[in-house]
Amino acid sequence: MGLLSIIRKIKRKEKEMRILMVGLDNSGKTTIVLKINGEDTSVISPTLGFNIKTLTYQKYTLNIWDVGGQKTIRSYWRNYFEETDGLVWVVDSSDLRRLDDCKMELDNLLKEERLSGSSLLILANKQDIKGALTPEEIAKVLNLEAMDKTRHWNIVGCSAYTGEGLLEGFDWLVQDIASRIYVLD
Amino acid sequence: MLERLSNREQIRLDNSLARRSDSDSHSNLPSSSTTFLSRFSDSKRSIESRIDLSRIDHPTDPSQVRSLLDNISASISDLEKLVAESSYLLPSYEVRSSLKTISDLKQALETLNSELIPRKKFTFKNKAAKKDPTAEPNETTPENPESVSTKHGNLSFPVRDSPGFRNRKGDILVKNFKGSDIGEFTVSDLDSCEVRLTGSVRALFIHRLSNCKVYAGPVTGSVLIDEADGCVFVMASHQIRIHNAKGCDFYLRVRSRPIIEDTSGVRFAPYCLNYEGVEEDLKGASLDEETGNWANVDDFRWLRAVQSPNWSVLPENERFEVVNISTLGGGTDGN
Ligand SMILES: Nc1nc2c(ncn2[C@@H]2O[C@H](COP(=O)(O)OP(=O)(O)OP(=O)(O)O)[C@@H](O)[C@H]2O)c(=O)[nH]1
Ligand SMILES: [Mg+2]
Repeated sequence: MGLLSIIRKIKRKEKEMRILMVGLDNSGKTTIVLKINGEDTSVISPTLGFNIKTLTYQKYTLNIWDVGGQKTIRSYWRNYFEETDGLVWVVDSSDLRRLDDCKMELDNLLKEERLSGSSLLILANKQDIKGALTPEEIAKVLNLEAMDKTRHWNIVGCSAYTGEGLLEGFDWLVQDIASRIYVLD
Repeated sequence: MLERLSNREQIRLDNSLARRSDSDSHSNLPSSSTTFLSRFSDSKRSIESRIDLSRIDHPTDPSQVRSLLDNISASISDLEKLVAESSYLLPSYEVRSSLKTISDLKQALETLNSELIPRKKFTFKNKAAKKDPTAEPNETTPENPESVSTKHGNLSFPVRDSPGFRNRKGDILVKNFKGSDIGEFTVSDLDSCEVRLTGSVRALFIHRLSNCKVYAGPVTGSVLIDEADGCVFVMASHQIRIHNAKGCDFYLRVRSRPIIEDTSGVRFAPYCLNYEGVEEDLKGASLDEETGNWANVDDFRWLRAVQSPNWSVLPENERFEVVNISTLGGGTDGN
């Protein structure tokens, strides 16, 4: 860890976690964030830029960055990599046709050095849709077994419609980050 | 049933995730886009001049150089936060151009860094993950591995096909979702076909259509269109995303703003579908009210304040009045 990151760590507000939500357009990122924040999810437009939500989860403050996934704005994702503690990759489990796009974008993301220390949660969203692939199938398609051994990762099936699975996913993510960052607690 | 489940889950979520009233960051939010713009450009100018200045004149002590860079980086982050927090009140082209500015500033800072500290990379790295194999989650492999397979990094897909109409030419294709438990439906690789979908469905995927007409009842999630040429679409949905379309007319009812990307020569008009029970279906999908959003199209490829040249409103005298698919003849049911 360089001097800079030490300075950064100290300046950082205590118990704060920065979480970056990415994934293809239409995967349900914004719906998920609004749902866990208890907000209305009935009218959501595709995200043109990004949104930040700050919420308290257990004893931590989460800064969740929800960045649009349309092709045109994927090139902006890299603006948000700095200082990311947790990466949430959202998959539309019912969009069979674009699973290869999904795999390619995830693979690219994981090559990113600035994200190498962050915990990775994969949300296999839209499990409420009949015909959606199961989290096990998504794991297979994304070839998660081949992931770099140093990466902490987990995949959880969820539905932003029913809320099912969201807590399980975020619980894991927050605990995993906490165990890496706040070891001295 | 679903609603009850949903309420229960929401209570669980509410209990564990208390919303935080982030008063300090909201109290100094700009109240209009003009305030935002002036604050944004002030801050942008100040960051730019700090970067330029540092290039000419900077401390020699490496730790001071680092804190200088860190300082500029923090200002960029603050600016970014300002954009995020104001994005709901900004027109989309302003959000996009602000993002571009921030991206440029970061680039300039990176360049400065490589000039001042040639060898070390300027990154805020997270603490490396602990190597603890027992902490790795154990994934179970699917029972039938041949159902999903990967080949040379590309996916070959003998996965179960989603229900849909595919590879047809010159047909009339009819499907009623009423009473079926179909969740998502695919319409792909059609040439000169007419597709009539009644009842409601959660997600609709449309891919590679030319010279087709697609008439659809309400979609409670989103419609994703990719590659369409010379088609007419009449559809109602919570979200509509259009990619790579050319020369198509869209008659829409949407709860959110329809978007286009890599698309040109498309025209928009309000929804005009009629079939027996359409009102009831629309109501059931919360799409019974006209929102006017059919004309609020966002073009992701168009950053400027002036109207995008890629889409227009379909002139009234060229619109269909009503398409009544109950009275249209022909058609074969099934998928
Ligand atoms: N059935 C179902 N639909 C969902 C679920 N989550 C999201 N959706 C729908 O999927 C569509 C896309 O959701 P968004 O939250 O806008 O997707 P996004 O990932 O933020 O998209 P971008 O902002 O373009 O990156 C919307 O129509 C949602 O209603 C889910 O769990 N189940
Ligand atoms: Mg979004």
